[in-house]
Amino acid sequence: MVKKIENWFNKLEIKGRPNEFEAKRLVQFYDISVPDARVFVPKDRFEVSKITPPYVLKVCSPDILHKTEQKGVVLNVTKEDIQKQLNDIRKRFAGENILIEHQSDFEAPEFIIGVIKDPALGHAVMVGAGGIFTEIYKDVTFRLAPCSKNEAKSMINELALAEVFHGFRGMNFDEDKFAEIISNVSILADDMGDKLSQLDIKPIVFSQGRWVALDVKIIIDN
Amino acid sequence: MSSEISLTRLIDPKRIAVIGASNSKGKVGEIIFKRLLDSRRRLYPVNPKEIVISGIKVFPNIEALPNDIDLAVITISAKASVGAVESCAKKNIPFAIIVAGGFGEVGEEGKKLEEQLKTISQESGIRLLGPNSLGIFLPDENIDTIFVEHGDRALDPGGQVACIVQSGSVGVEALGYASNTGFGMRAFIGLGNKCDLDEIEFLKYFGNEDKTNCVTFYLESIENGREFLEIARDIAKNKPVVVLKAGRTATAISAVSSHTGKLAGSDNIISGAFKQYGIQRVYDDEEFCDASKVLSMLPAALGNRVAILTAAGGYGVIATDYVEKHDQRATLKMAELSSTTKQKILDATFPFSACNNPVDITASADDNMFKKSLEALVNDDGVDIVICIAFFAPPGITENLIDIVARVIEDSNTPVIVFTKYGPFTNSSLRNFFLAKVPGFPAIGRTVRAARFLVERAEIERKLNSDNQG
Repeated sequence: MVKKIENWFNKLEIKGRPNEFEAKRLVQFYDISVPDARVFVPKDRFEVSKITPPYVLKVCSPDILHKTEQKGVVLNVTKEDIQKQLNDIRKRFAGENILIEHQSDFEAPEFIIGVIKDPALGHAVMVGAGGIFTEIYKDVTFRLAPCSKNEAKSMINELALAEVFHGFRGMNFDEDKFAEIISNVSILADDMGDKLSQLDIKPIVFSQGRWVALDVKIIIDN
Repeated sequence: MSSEISLTRLIDPKRIAVIGASNSKGKVGEIIFKRLLDSRRRLYPVNPKEIVISGIKVFPNIEALPNDIDLAVITISAKASVGAVESCAKKNIPFAIIVAGGFGEVGEEGKKLEEQLKTISQESGIRLLGPNSLGIFLPDENIDTIFVEHGDRALDPGGQVACIVQSGSVGVEALGYASNTGFGMRAFIGLGNKCDLDEIEFLKYFGNEDKTNCVTFYLESIENGREFLEIARDIAKNKPVVVLKAGRTATAISAVSSHTGKLAGSDNIISGAFKQYGIQRVYDDEEFCDASKVLSMLPAALGNRVAILTAAGGYGVIATDYVEKHDQRATLKMAELSSTTKQKILDATFPFSACNNPVDITASADDNMFKKSLEALVNDDGVDIVICIAFFAPPGITENLIDIVARVIEDSNTPVIVFTKYGPFTNSSLRNFFLAKVPGFPAIGRTVRAARFLVERAEIERKLNSDNQG
C-alpha cells in the first residue's frame, strides 16, 4: 500500500500539490467511494458517455481553494445542457482543468472527515458535522492516527449528530461502514507519514446505501 | 529521556546530602534540612560556612562527603547549582533535586544554565529532578523536601495517590485543598523544568508499584507525547491515570488551510487522544483532587444507575438534575428501585417516605433508618452507585452516621459517595468520613461528578482490556 502512495505521489500533475481528482484517487485506495468522474484538460473534447447524469462541473486546480465562492462549481447540469455549461466554466477559468462528475443524490446531514498533523502528537483524524456551518457548530471529535474501527465508533457516538445513526426520524445511516472509513482515513495518514499535512473529506455523504466522498482536499508538507 | 531506570534511591533514599543546608532561619537550605530531620534518614549537610546544624556535622564541600549518598538536595542559587551538580556527578551520587528557579523559565542566561545541567546529566549519568522543582514529598516515608508551607499535617497515612505536578503552587494548593477534607497521598513530585527526569519516568515508577493505586498529573507540556500516551494506556489497564493538562489554547499548526486544521486546536486533539488511551482528563485543581480521591478510594462502577438517599428533599431533587444532565465524561441514569427495596425502606422508615429514587426519608429520620435504607439500596441489583446525602441537622441523626455509612460500605461492592455539608464543620466532617474510608464532597455537583469518574473508569477498563488496538 505504501508503494501505491509513492507511485501516486510521483505521478501528480503538479509536484506536491494534488488536485481534487488526484486526491480522490488516493482515498479510493482505502476503500472510500467517490463519484464517477472525468477530468477534461482545456483541449479535450467533451465526452461523458460513461457517466450518468445529472452532472456537477468543478474547476480542478490546487490553486483555487474556494471554488464555490468563485463560481467554480456548477450543479444540476443535464445531458442537454452540459456542453454549454462546460464552455461557460472554461471561459471563467481559462487554462484550468475541469472535473465532470456524476452528481450524487444524498440525504442530509453531510459529514466531514479530516486529518491534521499536530506538531507534538503527529497525525490526528477528525470526524464531525459537515456542511456550511461546520466551523460554527464545531460538532467534531479527534483521535490520534492510526485508530481502530471501534475507536472510530466511539468518535461517532460523541457527536451531537450521532442520533442520525440511531433511528432519528427514521434515518438509516450505515454506522459500521462509516467507522471503517474513519479508521481507513487514519491508516492512510499513518501510511503517508510526514508528507501529509492536512486532509479534508468534505462533504462525505450517505448516497443510495453507500458513503461517498464528494470533495477531497489534500495538502502536502513540502 | 526515558530509559528504564529505578527511581528507588530518589523516592526512598537512605542517605541524603543537603547542599546549602543552613542555620539561618528562613533560608531554603534551613527549611528543607529541618523537614528532612523528621525523615530519620542519614543526613549530610554541606555548607562551607557552617560547622554543625541541629547537632549534625556539616561537610565543607561535596568532595568531602562519603561515597554512598543516594540523593543530593541542592538548595543553593541557580548559578551555584550547576557546579554543585557537577561535583555530585563526580561523587557518583545517582540523583539530585535542584530547587532553585532562575533557569529556562526566565530567559536566555537561565536557558544556558539549564543546558549545562542537561549536558552534565547526559555525560555523567546523574539523574536530575528540576530545576525549579518543588521537590518530593512522601508522607509515609517521612520524606519531604518541599520548602513552602503545605498541608501535610492533614494528610492521612496509607495514601495511594501519586501526584506528579509541573507547577509548584498549583500542586501545593491542590495538596492543601485535598488534605483539608481528607486525601490519601502516596507521593507528591514537583517536576519543575524537566531538564532530565520527566513525567514518563514517574508514570512508569508509580504506575508499576503496589503502593500506588492512582497516578495523577498536572502538566503544562508533555514531552514525547506518544510515548507518554502508550505507557499511560498500559498503566490504565490496572489503575486510573488522571491528567490535568493546562495551556489549552490552540497551538500554531503552521499554515492551516483546511477545515480540519481550523477545527483542530491542539486541545481538541489532546482530549481525543486522552480518551483513546484511557486517560481521565480534568480541568482544574478541584477536579484533580476530587477525581484522584474517589478513584483511589472506590472501585470502578459496574454500571451507571445511581440511587440517591437523602433526608433533605431539596438536595435530592438537585442531585437528580445533576445525574440526568448530559455530560461527555459519562452518562448517568437514575436507578429504578425494586419493589423489595422500596418495601424495606418503607418498613424501616415512615409510611410517608418517598421511595421512588431519589429516596427521601425526611428530616424526621434517625441513624438507624438511614442505615436500613442505605443497606436496602446497596443490595438492590438495579443500583450501581449510591449517592448518600448525609446531613447532621435532623435531630435524629448523630455523628454516628459516619460509622454507620462506613460499615455498610465495607460490606458491599456498590460504591457509595457522600455529599455532606455541616456549616463550619464541613471540612472536619469530610475528614472523618475519609478516615472511615468513605469519600465525601461538600457540593452536590462535585459528588455527582465523582460518580461519573467511576463510570468513566469502568468504561476505560472495559475498553483497554478488550481491544488492543489504537
